[in-house]
Amino acid sequence: MRVELAQIEVKVGRVEENLKKHLEILETTSADCVVFPELSLTGYILKDLIYETFKEVEEAVSRVAETSRCAVLGGIKEISPGILRNSAAVILNGQVNFVPKFYLPTYGLFEERRYFQRGNPLRDLRVFDFNGFKFGVLICEDAWHPEPVEALARLGAEAVFIPSASPMRRLGKSLGIEDQWTSLIKAHSLMNGVWIVFSNLVGPQDEEFFWGGSMVSSPLGEIRAKGKIMEEDRVVAEIDVEDVRRSRFFSSYRDHVREFHQLLSELD
Amino acid sequence: MHPYVRERLGLNYEMVDKYLVMRLRKYISDAGARGGVIGLSGGVDSALTARLLTKATDNFFILVMPSKSTPKKDVEDAMELIREFKGENRYAYFEIDELVDKFSSLAKTEDKRVIGNVKARVRMVALYTFAQRLGYLVVGTGDKSELMLGYFTKYGDGGVDVLPIGDLYKTQVREMAKWEGLPESIYSKPSSPALWEGQTAESELGIRYEDVDSVLYLAFDEMRSEEQILSLTGLPSPVVRRVISLVKASQHKRMPPEIFRLSGRAINSDWRYPRHWS
Repeated sequence: MRVELAQIEVKVGRVEENLKKHLEILETTSADCVVFPELSLTGYILKDLIYETFKEVEEAVSRVAETSRCAVLGGIKEISPGILRNSAAVILNGQVNFVPKFYLPTYGLFEERRYFQRGNPLRDLRVFDFNGFKFGVLICEDAWHPEPVEALARLGAEAVFIPSASPMRRLGKSLGIEDQWTSLIKAHSLMNGVWIVFSNLVGPQDEEFFWGGSMVSSPLGEIRAKGKIMEEDRVVAEIDVEDVRRSRFFSSYRDHVREFHQLLSELD
Repeated sequence: MHPYVRERLGLNYEMVDKYLVMRLRKYISDAGARGGVIGLSGGVDSALTARLLTKATDNFFILVMPSKSTPKKDVEDAMELIREFKGENRYAYFEIDELVDKFSSLAKTEDKRVIGNVKARVRMVALYTFAQRLGYLVVGTGDKSELMLGYFTKYGDGGVDVLPIGDLYKTQVREMAKWEGLPESIYSKPSSPALWEGQTAESELGIRYEDVDSVLYLAFDEMRSEEQILSLTGLPSPVVRRVISLVKASQHKRMPPEIFRLSGRAINSDWRYPRHWS
């Protein structure tokens, strides 16, 4: 399966303009499936603009669904009046599913719990099937915890797509946030024997700047494709279930010690 | 500077340069402006910021705004930089003394601190006059050390549209100016607002910028306790306390003016929108 990581710069609150960019990429892609970043239709630093911008998302998603066979877009889903979720719209052969974010960062520069409700993994975690290839979708902060990727892998996902909006910080001798993400992505791949497809926003939004650097890690923890830092890019990678096998034959992934999760379920 | 802090404040200047130039370019275009105006003093902050601005856009305009208290050397350095930036036909020489003297006589004061702030605010008015005439933004030159200490004039050099080097400490600014190939006379010059004759930042603050930056970094970036800062830097306790108290006392200079809440939704409190809102 060929995936494209559409590392785009979007305009905050301008869904129509952003949708146009999505459609252009979908029309010209050579991939089977295109993964856009988190909140790619709306922009990330929306603040109170969220209260009006979310209304345009569903229409934009259905416009994409008319033509695209496989795409993951970043948007906002109103699940009941006034209750918004930061979600990925997963479009598969005309069907649309919204996967919500489970961990909503509300620290430092982030204030997602001011606006969004988190998803419930018991109801909302999904594995999708594209021509026999199984993938799940998680959003950004969900990759900063071990369980979401593990849960998807044990539900059968062979790849995990991670639309993200990671702002640049800790630029020193190297780009600290890039080092951290690379470590996380490789670790998830290795621990679970899955492909990780990290598609990040790029460009400025208010004080923040999304650094791009989208990447694909194989189940063996090798970075197979990498987007440019700090500029728009389109990255295409081939992902194959054979690599999942190769990784899992020589790892202890098959041993799931459930008692750890029992123990975890009783801890804060 | 203590090796620990020096190591932590080390930067990949190539990446920082690329990043800041790109951000400045995008900021100007996203604002719908045509370019940027900057005041060039001959000091390191404005030299570095001007270098970034000239890389970001051909549409730059430089103002040199000396007063009686401006050292001759600063004006010469500013003119040399203008030649280096190929800005000979994109600058103006704007003497502020006549205007400042008028304020002084109308307000019946010659207090050097009051008049010093008038100078900074007259310069701000001059920058905005040119900016509006040209359809440009005013590009500020404050660095993180000055902004944190509150070592700037509110609505003077603090009155700008954007602060490209506002997250770089003074010692990083000097390093970066060197990396950019600016003249040594610029990056090793003692910092001074030159609001009155003989004024230098380090003598007025009573602390070297290397020490200021060490304390600021440890106290606020790493959130270290006073005891840890003392043991890491070897600085005397009054110096550490003074830096921290300057930061706290100047908080109002870094914030928009306070609005007294009445309604259900008050500006900045629970009415929060992005800067580019359309």
